Amino acid sequence: MKNNIKLYVGLAAIALMASCKPEIVKEYETSNPQNVNFSKYIAVGNSLTAGFADGGLYLEGQQVAFPGLLAEQMKSYGGGSFETPFFSEAQSNGSGYLRLKSLENGRPVTESVTDKLAYTGAGVLAKYSGGEINNLGVPGMRLDHSGVALVSAGNMYFSRLLPDAEVGKKSYQDFVENRSHTFFSFWLGNNDVLGYATNGAVNDNPAGTTVLTNEQTFKAVYTQFIGKLTANGQKGVVATIPDVTTIPYFTTVTRKALLDAASAIAGQQIPALVIATKSGPRVATDNDLFILPFSSLAPSLLGKPNALQAPYGFHTANPIEDKYVLDAEEAANIKVHIEKLNAIIKQIATDKNLALADANAYLTRIKNGMLYNGFGISSAYITGNVFSLDGIHLTPIGNAIMSNLVIDAINAKYGTKLEKVDASKFRGIKMP
Amino acid sequence: MKKILFALLLASPTLTFAQGSQVNTQGIRALGMSGAGSALFVDETSIFYSPGALAKATENSISIGASAVMYRSAFKEVNSNVQHDTEFQISPPFSVFASFGPKNSWWKAGIGVYTPFGGGVNWGTEWPGRFELNHLSMRAIYIQPTLSFKITENFGIGGGFVYNIGSVDLSRSIPVFDQNGNPGRAELNGIGTGMGYNVGIHYNLEDDFAISLSYRSHVRTKLEDGDAVFTVPTALSTSFPNTKFSAELPLPSSFNLGIAFPLGDKVDLAADATFIGYSIYEKLVFDYEQNTPVLSDTEQIKDYENALSAKVGLNIHANEKLDLRFGTGYVYTPVRSKYVYAETPDNNRVMGSIGFTYNISDKFDFSGAYTLQRIIERTTTNIATGMSGTYKTNIHAPGISLTYKW
Repeated sequence: MKNNIKLYVGLAAIALMASCKPEIVKEYETSNPQNVNFSKYIAVGNSLTAGFADGGLYLEGQQVAFPGLLAEQMKSYGGGSFETPFFSEAQSNGSGYLRLKSLENGRPVTESVTDKLAYTGAGVLAKYSGGEINNLGVPGMRLDHSGVALVSAGNMYFSRLLPDAEVGKKSYQDFVENRSHTFFSFWLGNNDVLGYATNGAVNDNPAGTTVLTNEQTFKAVYTQFIGKLTANGQKGVVATIPDVTTIPYFTTVTRKALLDAASAIAGQQIPALVIATKSGPRVATDNDLFILPFSSLAPSLLGKPNALQAPYGFHTANPIEDKYVLDAEEAANIKVHIEKLNAIIKQIATDKNLALADANAYLTRIKNGMLYNGFGISSAYITGNVFSLDGIHLTPIGNAIMSNLVIDAINAKYGTKLEKVDASKFRGIKMP
Repeated sequence: MKKILFALLLASPTLTFAQGSQVNTQGIRALGMSGAGSALFVDETSIFYSPGALAKATENSISIGASAVMYRSAFKEVNSNVQHDTEFQISPPFSVFASFGPKNSWWKAGIGVYTPFGGGVNWGTEWPGRFELNHLSMRAIYIQPTLSFKITENFGIGGGFVYNIGSVDLSRSIPVFDQNGNPGRAELNGIGTGMGYNVGIHYNLEDDFAISLSYRSHVRTKLEDGDAVFTVPTALSTSFPNTKFSAELPLPSSFNLGIAFPLGDKVDLAADATFIGYSIYEKLVFDYEQNTPVLSDTEQIKDYENALSAKVGLNIHANEKLDLRFGTGYVYTPVRSKYVYAETPDNNRVMGSIGFTYNISDKFDFSGAYTLQRIIERTTTNIATGMSGTYKTNIHAPGISLTYKW
């Protein structure tokens, strides 16, 4: 009988080893697979494509830029190598950026990172010395400037990528052309609205960076650029322009917070804030959006008397300047304008059989917060995990989520099986 | 640049607690039949399975059993082919049962110390659900003094008082990041107690047919003064103070019907059906002693359903010395799809078991069993965390016990 026992113990041991670890065979399903060639993917866009974060372009941000994460997922499906114009380790802080220095009573204090920068002179970054690149994102690039050669001279991120001979002579569209790509992502247009909006809907920059691009120009240039990118029937993905009025750059500094701070400094209750608008000064409401940098200007500006002895921001004779406020009318106009531009993007995507990542719809969804794998994401400054310290650009988590949005769009359009990026592996804001 | 105008608000960690993790390894004889046998076995383990049967045992006995429960769970996030596995670890449930009383009397007393609930999973800190759970181990130890009486030769009744000592130890990552980009961590552990009872009747027709009915009450286990320890960046240390917490974990009641009858000279069949009152587990509330704007008390909806399990097994009396056993069972999960958490990625489960008892002498016997439970693959999106993916779990539980009779 002893043998029997051994037999059963033996059988049990075999069963144990054979089925110890469960194997999930389930794979996700897609329908309508099309022939998509990921072998040479290029990423066309602005700061969001380049990996700009925390008010600067630096190595860590570049490394988590959504095109790089996307390219990594493409590798299992015929994707080739994907080169990003990384800053070197010695110059890893690139243009410099903001970091959180401390929290004082729960209030964030930021400081600039000033070591390991890549400058060779004022406003001049060291040339990128590597070979051919796939991530062609240029911070600050506007759609309406994409065909203008002169722009490359005024944009240090762009001129960094060009040989001296081409600076000021090569437009972004020309820079992107002739790269024999097989697939592209295209996310331009944000700055055509953002430049205007972040300046409080005041167009005062002679370089044209604060213009609100009109529909006609937008449609013409978008059509032209996409025409070039799809000239050989290439497939690609385009993204919509997020409603900029939902980003922390505009939603963090509230009227109430300003009033409380001003009252505390003045030692008396300040009844109201007065802002300058296109139709004259008026009392601010909660629908008026103060820009994020105003939070650091406010303590010295608010209440400061002008020549008429009117205190800044408290009196119609000395209102808060228009450029610091996106007032309710301006915000509403911008929202409508973005919808019109997004309609153009969607139409062109449909016409050209391109995938559409609706960044605008997604941002609207997370505006008030949602849970992603057990952690909260929202458009809230710092705590929302998605937006970096500049209140405009994405954190690594935000980039990973953006990658997944793009991946979903590509899979939905082309029936591919690009795998999702595990966004929970990435970080939000670094805390001191 | 100094921003003076707003304060931080972070979401409090909600913490999880396992429960649908029941693996019954109290009696190694029954384990060999997938948990069937409450009507068949009339011995010291009846303290747990059928208190009414205890008085019918002809001898006094004590048994000590232990098993090695191994949960192996795997997870694949939706739209991903990357499988994440739990780390290999063994939870060692144990049981001690002893019965005393005059020989051939109308009564018997007994005491059982056993672990009806418990288990452990360790997903680690690098899986997609790390903000939901890193690791959890939890155990409920029931101490049950019992009295059993024979009303007639064939009819027994019994009951016991249950005192539960429960322990929980869990950790999860929290989404605040240090200078290296690593997330913070919350670790909670504590011990709680609760009370309940176990009653049952047992009836048999000579050596022919036997039936057992038993009811184990629910036990509300209250944890007080558990320790909550947070590892967070320095700037947030006042927001996440190390503090105490309390929580209440209701362990479910169960109503069990067992029958047993001979299929032949040497073969007995036993079948058990158990109704488990899991609907008591509606929510899990954590009450932190010290709250801050970011560390508030949490409430997590569980909304368990009542569950049902059915087990059937054969006991083969191979010879004077040896009994062999086989069994199989099916358990309907109490966990609704949208409330599947990583702590107990539960679903309906199937199980198969083998076991034996070897009589070393008149005084000693030795039993062994092995059961494999397979929790059926389940694809789900959790309503509270947003986690979406497929879970699959195998549970292996070999066990042994030694009985001394006098």
